[in-house]
Amino acid sequence: MLSVLRSELFKMTTTRATKVILGFAVVLPIVIYVLTLIFAFDGGVMESPAVVNIASVAPLVALLLGVVGVMCATQEYSQGTIRITLVATPHRVRVYVAKVLTTLTIAVVATAVLLVFTMLSSVVILNARDVQFELIGNDGRVVISFFFLTAVLSVFGLSLGLIFKSGPGAISAVLLWPTIAEGMVFGLLSAVTGDNYFRWAPIQNGFQLVSEYIMEDQNSWTVSALILCGFVAVFVFAGASLFTKRDA
Amino acid sequence: MIVVDRLTKTYGAKKAVDDLSFTVAPGRVTGFLGPNGSGKSTTMRCMLGLDAADAGSVTFDGKRYSDLDQPLTHVGSLLDAGDAHKGRSARNHLRWIAMTHGFPESRVDEVLHQVGMSEVAKTKVGKFSLGMRQRLGLAVALLGNPHTIILDEPANGLDPEGIRWTRDVMRSLADSGRSVLVSSHQLVELSLVADDLVVIGQGKLISAGPVSDFMTQHAKSWVRVVSPQFDALAELVVAHGGRVERTQDGGDFHAVTAIQVGEIAAANNIVLHELSSQTGSLEEAFLDATDASVEFRGESSAAQNGGGQ
Repeated sequence: MLSVLRSELFKMTTTRATKVILGFAVVLPIVIYVLTLIFAFDGGVMESPAVVNIASVAPLVALLLGVVGVMCATQEYSQGTIRITLVATPHRVRVYVAKVLTTLTIAVVATAVLLVFTMLSSVVILNARDVQFELIGNDGRVVISFFFLTAVLSVFGLSLGLIFKSGPGAISAVLLWPTIAEGMVFGLLSAVTGDNYFRWAPIQNGFQLVSEYIMEDQNSWTVSALILCGFVAVFVFAGASLFTKRDA
Repeated sequence: MIVVDRLTKTYGAKKAVDDLSFTVAPGRVTGFLGPNGSGKSTTMRCMLGLDAADAGSVTFDGKRYSDLDQPLTHVGSLLDAGDAHKGRSARNHLRWIAMTHGFPESRVDEVLHQVGMSEVAKTKVGKFSLGMRQRLGLAVALLGNPHTIILDEPANGLDPEGIRWTRDVMRSLADSGRSVLVSSHQLVELSLVADDLVVIGQGKLISAGPVSDFMTQHAKSWVRVVSPQFDALAELVVAHGGRVERTQDGGDFHAVTAIQVGEIAAANNIVLHELSSQTGSLEEAFLDATDASVEFRGESSAAQNGGGQ
């Protein structure tokens, strides 16, 4: 199992597309944050700018890591390597578990790198201005939620990749469902019924996990996490079933 | 030893492989032939567990592929030369496969050397010609030093030197006791290397056995004669039940052997300038054997077949 996991990780780290997407997911938010910290808040006093940054970029980062999850599956189909993968490891459950663990590892490491650099740059820049940096209030929860969100959405992406097998289709689903389709579906339901169906929108509930404050008309953290996990679990089950049974 | 036993695979209403049974013996190269769409690739995918068979089984030395521990050390396969990420180097392509079995990196370098790709080990697969990708595919098949090799059209896109090299590799693998199953449309090449043939059409077995048996059964044979007294000889041969076909410098006799023709000529003092037994090519034998199973036929061959009826 470990050898299959090692192989999957190696595959993911030897393709340019993965590196580019990871670059966008990790480096871009750090650069924007550092520039913002240097220029926008010059002389001001920030409560916890690192966490504000995390909360604002978390949905984008999580979606990009979802795209990385998609690529973990679809690159194999588009490049034909899935046949070699399954010939080398005929036990498909092992390959599936290795892909899930690979996706999770990349998501957690990328999130950790982003957090560490964000925190470090906060400490360095704020200390240079004699401002003390510390995590306060809900900051700890936001940080943990950030890991949770990126992990769940990366597996969501992997599952869609295994279902669609086609990169463009799966990436479109990962990006368009939360940003457009979900809003339209639950927005229309809310408009038609007069009730707030939008609070049951699964990915929006996921994004809500990394908000510093939860509003009265929003679900609690636990309910939001359950809605997100329940939604993603459907795709995980479908992806796993198709991957282990479908002809390669 | 590969044993394919009553393998059946259906896609929707179409039976791609229909109750197919054959064996591939160790120490022999077995050619796997069939017209386009006859089910060769489907059979190979079912053998390797990539496609799930509806019925039947395939075993490698008594074990199903999915039950093999470290399968690449038992069975090496090349199904499609394009099965490699274009953005990865040849070496990295082999490295990730080697990692699944814990092979050392030195083994990767060994097979790259074996297929003549050491100098392009760090070149990305996307920059390779089809022939280079075939060599890389062969490197994948040889990576685990397996005792069974399955190759689907390994000579596709190779230059003459590459084709000869592939043939030599297959021969040496079989000579070292390995079972080699190879599908190819290059029948001339296959005739030079195959010991046995498995011929299928529309998913069904047409013939399985030694190449010589297949040729005896399906290849035409005739006697070529060049003689200044050909007409006289032709009359005598026809009287003995033979058929005659005139050519520019002599003629061909069918339904008689060279010995019979020679004895007739000798008994009648007929001078012969040439007397030789002729046998059709593997290609002609293959076309004869699979004629009724061709699913996709071009216009000119369809017209030819229609004209001949």
